[in-house]
Amino acid sequence: MKFNADNVKPLIEDEFVGEAAKRALQYIQGKRSAGMPVAGIYCGYAPMEVIRAAGAVPAILCAFANKTIAAAEAVLPANLCPLIKSSYGFIITDSCPFFGISDAVVAETTCDGKKKMFELISHYKPMFVMDLPQLPDEEEAQANWAAMITKLKGFLEKTFKTEATSERIEAEIKATNVKNALMNRVFDYAAKKPSLLKWSETYELAFLAQVATTEDLQPIFQEVFRTIKEREEKGVYYGTPSSPRVLVTGCPVGGDSTKVYKIIEEAGGVVVAMDSCTGMKPFMTAIEEDTGDPIAAVAVRYLQLPCSCMTPNLRRLTEMDKIIARFQPDAVIEVVLHACHSYNIEAYKIMNHAKEIHNLPYLKIETDYSDGDVEQIRTRVEALFDSL
Amino acid sequence: MTALGLDIGSRTIKLVVWENGAVVLTRKALTSSDPLAVCRELLHHTPPGPLVATGYGRHLVKEYLRCETVSEIKAFALGARAVFHSCRTILDIGGQDTKAISLTADGRIDKFHMNDKCAAGTGRFLEIMATALGLSLGDFMAEAMATETPHPINSMCTVFAESEVISTIARGTPRPAIALGIHQSIASRTVSLLERVAVTDDIVFAGGVALNGCMQKEIEKALGRNVHVPPDPQIIGALGCALLAAKNDEPVKRHDYDDKVKSSRGKARES
Repeated sequence: MKFNADNVKPLIEDEFVGEAAKRALQYIQGKRSAGMPVAGIYCGYAPMEVIRAAGAVPAILCAFANKTIAAAEAVLPANLCPLIKSSYGFIITDSCPFFGISDAVVAETTCDGKKKMFELISHYKPMFVMDLPQLPDEEEAQANWAAMITKLKGFLEKTFKTEATSERIEAEIKATNVKNALMNRVFDYAAKKPSLLKWSETYELAFLAQVATTEDLQPIFQEVFRTIKEREEKGVYYGTPSSPRVLVTGCPVGGDSTKVYKIIEEAGGVVVAMDSCTGMKPFMTAIEEDTGDPIAAVAVRYLQLPCSCMTPNLRRLTEMDKIIARFQPDAVIEVVLHACHSYNIEAYKIMNHAKEIHNLPYLKIETDYSDGDVEQIRTRVEALFDSL
Repeated sequence: MTALGLDIGSRTIKLVVWENGAVVLTRKALTSSDPLAVCRELLHHTPPGPLVATGYGRHLVKEYLRCETVSEIKAFALGARAVFHSCRTILDIGGQDTKAISLTADGRIDKFHMNDKCAAGTGRFLEIMATALGLSLGDFMAEAMATETPHPINSMCTVFAESEVISTIARGTPRPAIALGIHQSIASRTVSLLERVAVTDDIVFAGGVALNGCMQKEIEKALGRNVHVPPDPQIIGALGCALLAAKNDEPVKRHDYDDKVKSSRGKARES
């Protein structure tokens, strides 16, 4: 799969094309050299606005490589999600540069595996584990989550010897909204028929946009929109007009598990929407501004994230409706990491929703970070496209 | 016209030559560690015609033989309809995959499901279980059919199931009971895979495991329906490929298969 023209300028043109993590690392190191503390995060529920208001730069900690799993399995059970095993392996082998430069770690009680893994790494760095409500629509959930965010604020203030005032949090809310609106403008070009973006371009931009401030991203956005406009003018698009358009949903996909995106492309498909925490999900919703209680506003927004750790997580279906209307996929492929019970079980509802409500073919791929199942996945994806 | 279909499975490679509306030649050989050499061997002295390949090795031969490839799902759908026109559901149990495919009334693929990457319940699993019992595949099936009282085997992981079989033998359980237990555990797993696609009659059971009469019987019992096993269930995928090759209107592509035969390893069976 390629662009319909030669020598297409990459969306972010720098020395890090194809190296999303290295680009983020350089950014974070720059901030750290300028005196900012670094807050390591593992999950999309980490309230970025509060972390930024405390003067810290967030760093997404390593969790996506097969190479650290063997070391992790010396302690953790083999039958555990590869994301958790990889994360832990990175810590005990001291090979995650983001963790190395983190001054504190923000964690959440999302799934059982993560929760218990956090206990095993809690002595390496100051760590704050947030108790995430899992029935987000209950009345108490918002108040409880806001209380947790307030506690996190206290932890960050104490650890970083700073003050995250309401004004600063409010300013960060507004900055997030600006960033998310810009990201959505970019996503609109992925949604075009045919798509103007390759999946890896959206992925790389999302990777950087999670850690970088809106202000620092402005010049990058300007360049991104200039590049997109150029593509539009020249009639440049990705794939072919008849390539099957794929919505990939489910567990976070990054590093070694991007093999699934690559296989989809090799089978002739174009990934137009990435509905996961390493894709478009963190940018999909806005935070209410000027409520007078910015922490409550932040709490509301993060509880809206449709992760399978929530129950009944009906928002996943309503969000999916919007994504399908916007990106017009021809097929839905769900990526479930081995032993991720919540996404794996929820997949049944997603399959029925895709097939019955949207009349879209659906394929669930259960995988890990190894490349041992590449051919098996390829057979399934090619068969899916054959059946379109 | 002549058209060729090649199914490069994980355990066996199958070739079908289709000529003027009929299968004129089939060949099979073990895949071995050099499937390309085996393909060349199978293609040696075959009549010229377009070739379509499927199976795990399809991308390997695509490059070397410059032929078209198709997914196994589509190949089996075409092949099964050719041998059984009213087929609506296909069960294929091969060397390392189990597939359940449902077809619409006009033969298009409706749904399909495959086992996870683990080879539990596939042909390879049966081979290993037979070996653990010290039996050939034929005797393994015969022993299972010789008893009415199974000893249930619960592990589906090939490695764990082997340990379970060994410890069950060590407790003095008769081998026929274990053999039947293994067949039944695969049958129940297969039926749950089948039930994920809508099971509609007629059901065609293809793939190497369909040669096992006990497997057919146990699947029918667990499913509560009859399944049809074609006369040569292993060639259904290759047949589908040949049919697809015959349908291609493109000019006949024929490459120098014969020149590429370098070794005569992997003796091919011809029928």
